[in-house]
Amino acid sequence: MRRVGFASLPIVLVFAALIGASATWATSSTPATTRPSLTGESSATTRPAQPAESHVVIFHTNDVHGRIDNFAKVAAILDAERKTGADVFFFSAGDNFTGDPVIDRYDPPGEPIVELLDRLHVDVISIGNHEFDYGLEAVRKLTARFRTVSANIETKGLLPGLQPYIVLTAKDGIKIVVFGIIQIEPGNGLPSTHPDKVKGLSFSEPLAKALELKNLRAQGQIFVGLTHIGFDQDLLLAKEMPEIDVIIGGHSHTRVDPAETVNGVLVAQAGAENQFLGRIDLLLRDGKVVEKKGRLIDLSKVRDEDPEIKALIAKFHQSPAMARVIAHAPVEITGKNALGSLMTDAICKMHGLDIAFQNNGGIRINRLPRAITLNDVYTLDPFGNQIVRIDMTPDEIRGLIWSSCERRHDIDLQVSGISYFVRDEGVLRLQDIELRRPDGSPLPEDRTYKVGLSSYIASSYQFAHKDPGRTLGITTAEALISYLESSPDLSVYREVQRAHYQKSAGSPRD
Amino acid sequence: MQIRVNSQMIEIFAGATVKDVLRKYSREEWKRVRSGENTVRDGQGHEVGLDGELGGGEELFIKPRAAAEPRS
Repeated sequence: MRRVGFASLPIVLVFAALIGASATWATSSTPATTRPSLTGESSATTRPAQPAESHVVIFHTNDVHGRIDNFAKVAAILDAERKTGADVFFFSAGDNFTGDPVIDRYDPPGEPIVELLDRLHVDVISIGNHEFDYGLEAVRKLTARFRTVSANIETKGLLPGLQPYIVLTAKDGIKIVVFGIIQIEPGNGLPSTHPDKVKGLSFSEPLAKALELKNLRAQGQIFVGLTHIGFDQDLLLAKEMPEIDVIIGGHSHTRVDPAETVNGVLVAQAGAENQFLGRIDLLLRDGKVVEKKGRLIDLSKVRDEDPEIKALIAKFHQSPAMARVIAHAPVEITGKNALGSLMTDAICKMHGLDIAFQNNGGIRINRLPRAITLNDVYTLDPFGNQIVRIDMTPDEIRGLIWSSCERRHDIDLQVSGISYFVRDEGVLRLQDIELRRPDGSPLPEDRTYKVGLSSYIASSYQFAHKDPGRTLGITTAEALISYLESSPDLSVYREVQRAHYQKSAGSPRD
Repeated sequence: MQIRVNSQMIEIFAGATVKDVLRKYSREEWKRVRSGENTVRDGQGHEVGLDGELGGGEELFIKPRAAAEPRS
């Protein structure tokens, strides 16, 4: 039997040129073979005799988050590799959805991603936490249309097609066992998305579930964990489960280049947002993986693009969805006070919170037209900030307001659920901040309040609070869209002021 | 949850991303990372994206970006 290492495979020449890899990879004598037929199901019945040596290439992506532009380059790379006759697979490690308003608000949401993954012939998708952001119906479309895996989701019949694992069959009869797992939060045991989005499903601890799957190793020649648990957790998995050949991960947006080998397991992750495409080369001899390596392809350096995919992407970008009118106001809503009141009312009313704050710097336009479109909302609030709930005492709320005023000696936070009055006599003191209920009475001091903040305020402002808080798995812009779509009385924003600042002669900005 | 940044423990809300932790750690460091001058790396030295999701217990390090390094 002639020994063939990676360095002698012809497709490596293409790859090496593509990523600028070392020329030491490049002497070839093995002829290209025909394109494999990927039966890709656990029920595959044909099993050609396996040659002594086989080479399998797995391209992978993760955390695309709606960034579709580089898919034309990915398509060109996949196509070029498939044309060499190599045994090529394309895996997605989850979180294809959420991050680009055009994709998020497409009708139906996320459809461009779904269509592009289909055109690129993705072989298997591991479900990520943000796959749930559009609701179960969108996930159902994924699980119905693609091979999808996640072993620690109990679907209770709600996601037909989702499997704990699948077995793909490559041209040489090589079987690739692929299992999926998804992260869950320690607090609520759910993936990081709004809890309403995963209603009816239940989730178990991902690493424990993976360990139950050790015996799958015997079902194939290549054993892959296609995970969405973050790189740190992938390393733990590798330490606990040396049966795995390759872990292809997502969630933490980690750029692992080259892929790391831990406890004999190759651990890979390709950054995020379609900036990199991962490539794993596996060499098998006598049905066993004997060499494996993983690198990332920097897509900013790739020039070739699939013209059809490029045209499709351009079409998706012209979606009329963003021009859709979601609310009609009796008058234009103008100024920080009115716009901030609207934005914070949305946070309170859509998520059952007592009080919400929005910083003036996060209000990016000064006017909403009477016919309010999705595009207007994302122009008003373009940052993708999450809503963070923190349970706070009145004094902690005063501390937040103090922190916001201290810098500029002026109003910086718009508010819903209360009004506040600051008397600035040169030295700002907590007792100079008065909190009132909407009816004008003093805010009761003897309880805590459910306060909604943008993740920007929660992370950037210096204020003491006992409760560390948690994200609600929804952005401030999404809350505003839901609020506007609920047909609220927008006439109240004609003239509104809930934050008041009184400067004395001694105030620094007087 | 707690995240360690350059060996300093940061207490932050559950569900925070890398950029949230950086903003809490230091406004100046956040600006340097956002401009591309510095990068954020995990305990193994791999670059992590600013929207990378954290589960608690991670360790992050802020490092200068090498001249030839691609920007995530």
